[in-house]
Amino acid sequence: MRRWVAHGGVALPLAVAACAYGVFVLPHASDYALRVLTVAGVYALLALGYGFIFGQAGALSLAQGTFMGVGAYVSGILAVRYGVAFDAALPVSVGLPVLLALLVAIPVLRLQTHYFALATLLIGQVVLLVATQWESVTGGANGIGGVPPLSLLGHPIEGRLPQLLLVWALVAAGAVLAWRIVSGRLGDAFALTRLHPVAARAIGIDTGSLRLAAFLLSAGFAGLAGSLYVHAIGVLSPDVLGFPVMITCLTIAVVGSRLRVAGAIAGAVVIIELPEWARFLRDDYLLAFGCILLLVVVALPGGLVETAERLLGWVGSRAVPSVMAGRVPAIFAPADEARMAGTRPAMTEGVGPFIAARAGDADLLTLVGVSRRFGGVLALDDVALTVRSGAVLGLIGPNGSGKTTLLNVVTGIFPADAGRVRLGGRDIAGRAPHAIARLGVARTFQTAALAAELSALDNVAVARGAARLGVGSALRAGRRDRAVVRGEAMALLERMGAGAYAAEAAGTLPPGIARLVEIARALATEPRLLLLDEPAAGLNETEQADLGRRLRGIAEDGVGLLVIEHNMPFLVPLADRMVCLDQGRVIAEGTPAAVQSDPRVIEAYLGTPPP
Amino acid sequence: MAIAQLLVEVLALGAAYALVALGFVLILNATGAVNFAQGDLVMAGGFGAVLLADRLHVSGLVLLPALLAGMAVLGVVVALAAYMPLRRRPPEAVFISTIAVGIILQNVANRLFGAEPVATPPLFGAGRVRFAGVDASVQSVAIIGVAALLIAALYTLFTHTQFGRRLRATAYDRDMAMAIGIPVDRMIAGTFAVAAALAGAAGLLLSNTFFVTPSSGSDYMIKAYIAVVIGGWGSIRGAVAGALLIAAFEVLYPSLPLLVPALLWMPSSDAVFSQTTSTIVLDVAVLLILVVRPQGLFGEAARQRP
Amino acid sequence: MQGDRRLGSPKKGLTNAHHAGGLGYLFGMAFATLVLFGGLPVAHTAEPAPDVPVLVPITGFLAAEGSSQRNGALLALQNPPAGVHPRFAVTDTGTSPEGAVNALERALSDGEVTVVVASMLGTQMLAMLPIAQAQKVPLITMSGTADITRKGNPYIFRFFPADSVVKGAQVKYAIEAHHIQKPAVIYQTTAYGQSGHAEILTALAAAGIKPVYEDALDVGVKDMRPVIAKAVASGADSLLLQLHGGPTALFLKAVAAMDVHLPIVAGSGLSQPATVALLEPAELKGVCGETGSSPISGETPAARDFLARYRDAFHTDPDGFALGQYDATMMALEAVAKGATSAEAVTKALATGSYQGVAMTYKSNGHGDMAHSAVIVCFDGTSRVPAVVRHYDFPISP
Repeated sequence: MRRWVAHGGVALPLAVAACAYGVFVLPHASDYALRVLTVAGVYALLALGYGFIFGQAGALSLAQGTFMGVGAYVSGILAVRYGVAFDAALPVSVGLPVLLALLVAIPVLRLQTHYFALATLLIGQVVLLVATQWESVTGGANGIGGVPPLSLLGHPIEGRLPQLLLVWALVAAGAVLAWRIVSGRLGDAFALTRLHPVAARAIGIDTGSLRLAAFLLSAGFAGLAGSLYVHAIGVLSPDVLGFPVMITCLTIAVVGSRLRVAGAIAGAVVIIELPEWARFLRDDYLLAFGCILLLVVVALPGGLVETAERLLGWVGSRAVPSVMAGRVPAIFAPADEARMAGTRPAMTEGVGPFIAARAGDADLLTLVGVSRRFGGVLALDDVALTVRSGAVLGLIGPNGSGKTTLLNVVTGIFPADAGRVRLGGRDIAGRAPHAIARLGVARTFQTAALAAELSALDNVAVARGAARLGVGSALRAGRRDRAVVRGEAMALLERMGAGAYAAEAAGTLPPGIARLVEIARALATEPRLLLLDEPAAGLNETEQADLGRRLRGIAEDGVGLLVIEHNMPFLVPLADRMVCLDQGRVIAEGTPAAVQSDPRVIEAYLGTPPP
Repeated sequence: MAIAQLLVEVLALGAAYALVALGFVLILNATGAVNFAQGDLVMAGGFGAVLLADRLHVSGLVLLPALLAGMAVLGVVVALAAYMPLRRRPPEAVFISTIAVGIILQNVANRLFGAEPVATPPLFGAGRVRFAGVDASVQSVAIIGVAALLIAALYTLFTHTQFGRRLRATAYDRDMAMAIGIPVDRMIAGTFAVAAALAGAAGLLLSNTFFVTPSSGSDYMIKAYIAVVIGGWGSIRGAVAGALLIAAFEVLYPSLPLLVPALLWMPSSDAVFSQTTSTIVLDVAVLLILVVRPQGLFGEAARQRP
Repeated sequence: MQGDRRLGSPKKGLTNAHHAGGLGYLFGMAFATLVLFGGLPVAHTAEPAPDVPVLVPITGFLAAEGSSQRNGALLALQNPPAGVHPRFAVTDTGTSPEGAVNALERALSDGEVTVVVASMLGTQMLAMLPIAQAQKVPLITMSGTADITRKGNPYIFRFFPADSVVKGAQVKYAIEAHHIQKPAVIYQTTAYGQSGHAEILTALAAAGIKPVYEDALDVGVKDMRPVIAKAVASGADSLLLQLHGGPTALFLKAVAAMDVHLPIVAGSGLSQPATVALLEPAELKGVCGETGSSPISGETPAARDFLARYRDAFHTDPDGFALGQYDATMMALEAVAKGATSAEAVTKALATGSYQGVAMTYKSNGHGDMAHSAVIVCFDGTSRVPAVVRHYDFPISP
């Protein structure tokens, strides 16, 4: 029972309320009440779909109403002109909006927030113009009347109540589908993609295809909603393509809670029933609607459902579900060091396979003549260096010397302007960041890039097999998959010494711990090469020493490490070799001791001789 | 339709659009957020001018200062209601809150003024002028003059006053501005005031020729949005250039068959150069620009913000 | 200054009442709202108290026309025939079919509805028709869309001449008065524009005429000059318009500014007072347009009485839609006064009876088309009040 509450948030009480309503109220409701509730169901489906692109992917699409309109037009035209029934037309009325989304996505989906919003707005405008102009097919601005009612397997569904039940059955099915997709690891991947797209790509998530999946799903749900809508209203009109439908959908998402499946449904019921509840406002209803929208955006940041969760005190159980009793094997539950000590051997054993130990100390990463220019500044100038398997290379240099740029070039965030980047003999220059990550390159960031709203554990778990993560796998594996990887993730957190923090929301972690969690996440991708950007910052001396030992252990498993660090007492004992960058050029290379005492290094970087 | 006459119209329409786009881009720079109610502020300015003209019985030019002041107040109200509480939230939140402000403005206007189109008073008067062989309406020439004056005033404000320099600093880097002691919140409220005043002026200028109804704002909103995107996100000069470009397209595209008579005999030239096709062509062109040159048409200077 | 004359003079009464007299207007609205809320108290239980919901678009692109419709209905409902005490409430339908359907079902769920004043937007009517038929409630509307009376639905009654009638009159007048051969047809990309456009083409084709230029304008189009110039360049000898009020005014302004002197016969958008108020009398010189009736022209004592009462109640001028909806509502209320107290009885009375309204005599052609006359009004260039120059009475045929 508690598990249910934990997973569903307010879904359970909502479901109970819905059942009670269905049994006690519906049979006596007026046709009007039934129709409004049916339309609310249609909008619930629309908003469920919108939750993927606007909620999960975090992209402000203004084309959701357009996809619904296209679904309505396809279904309406097929029904009136060709006599195709609602259910028989579904493959086309859902398929065409998805196809349109696919076509549109190719150029538009990679655009940033406000560009994406404008692009989707313009696409909606073009579709609306085409629908009103193409009179011979669409009926123009007049639309087409006489769309037959919903039907199932050749049986028309005439009464209001059966129509309502059909629509809400589809809402339930859609909600379950949406919930399965977002409540598993894919939901975590979406969270990371939404909050830190660069970090998501760095663990091998193809953020582009994740966004695409969200966009296509949203269009599919919208197509179904449009198809239901046109049969429920009985008339096809360009209004269904208009911006007011989009505003209604956006309002539902915002008022309900954009990241909650229950939010789409609660939002739809509230917003569509609102005119009925606010009857006393009459002509001022739209004015009140504007005020309510403004009020909710300002006063209830997460929307109704998240606010309800907070009020009912369930926010904790959602944000850190990993330690809920019965969810994670007891062995992984957080505990003090003493208890942990007893379990450690078993865990280390479990960790073994994740670290892709590769024999020999071959050259793993080789940079030759790499240059990168930003405007007039040469950030990297003819850089050459080598990282070997099982060895630690320390990278030092004054601020602005190009250290982080070098990491970004290796991980594919910026392409190099010149030179070669080879990983294990393969040229990786010019590949996409997620593709490079999938070849076994993992990294951390100068400021830890964790998904603040997920637990530390889930931040690590999301990287397990992230490369294979997709809608299909999410549907197949569901929650079981999440439980398995959480176990593995827990082991990695322990290995980094951050096991005690597993259940805490990443946003609340001390900076030093956040770095450890980030290293654990990097390890979860089973890297051959690990790139660390100032891993010791924020740790005290004991913790630094501890981290040094743990990193050494990782190297001993065969992983090659490139560590950027200013902290010499930490880096010198750790590194096998060191490279110093200054103004984008390598000015010294060799053993830590040799580099440290190199006069050019001292001049450029240290200013004074090292202690 | 002489080319010169068309160009006067392009300039007049473009100058008015530029005022709307400038307000849009100023708010964008100061807050990183899109003000979706910018078009509805144009509408509010139109109705405001009608209201003032009814009370004061003076020409448009005379009531312009009062209108600017009133709109500035409205701008501050919008900032307080729809931006200030959302400062620390992602830009979508402001996008949606300003959509709500737009809905409120439209329905208040509908309640107060009804749905029927009304005209604002002309700046000087009706009639036409001729100079250098070009025949143009007094209103068009006056629009160009007034808009140029406002843009010049804005430029002076930004470059020659303490307030303007602080505004620019706020727009450039909010955190840095706060660190050096600029009252950022007040600066942002000031930006909304300036943006609303510009939109209101555009409402006065445009609604004499094109009338104003409670729903006429959305069109201006999309124009401003497009102008800022093709001009380069966050670029002030780009916004003006983008506005002029849109106006040129809007006036010249449907006139192409007249300028190039050969096109008139092209098959279905009516349909190809119809107003509706013109909107579709503009939309598609902007989409192409977004895809091919997201930094806008005018060079690298523009800062790209997520 | 030139400036305020534009907004002022002939329109003065209207403008001032509307804006400067805003307080009175607001008071009127408040009173109307008050009345609407409770409905009128039923004084005598023995006397009929029909329930007449008014479901019209008050927001969106048809808000101006819908408001005329509402005002016409309200004038009748507030001054009903003796002994009738109608209960009524106005609901905004917006412009979507969903809005209309919701409004109708809500009204039906509230109690025994006698007759519904229904939106003039064709798509909304198409959506409401099946419900009206299922619930056996008559709809009285101003919608000109041809389709709505062609569905064999016995509960629809259209009191504005159908598009085929008014567009027939428009084309007929253009041929009679201007001997047009090569018209340019400019219409709106809305339901109103596209329906009218189709009927104009039919009427022209019947006379063997083919337009030399056609253009469909979005309601947002601002610059009309390219369209006009292209029409002229195409060799058009006349301009036939089917535009909403605001765009009609924009178009006529541009025509005047361009010194184009082609005969213009416009659609009903021209005769809306708000449209006329946007134009100088000189800009209207020689322009004609069709409409169902022109109450502002005050042709008959009844029309002058209606005009006075309407101005008094709403501080604005009525158009053909307002008068048509007034007549329609009065016909239904008269039927109630004569004993048709149920929806079924009113339906029968509307279907079989004949009614001498202010604008014309209404009688169903068997499909619910009640209005069979249209007028052509023209402006002389000195006044904003048009003169009715032609009455076209079409035979009452199914």
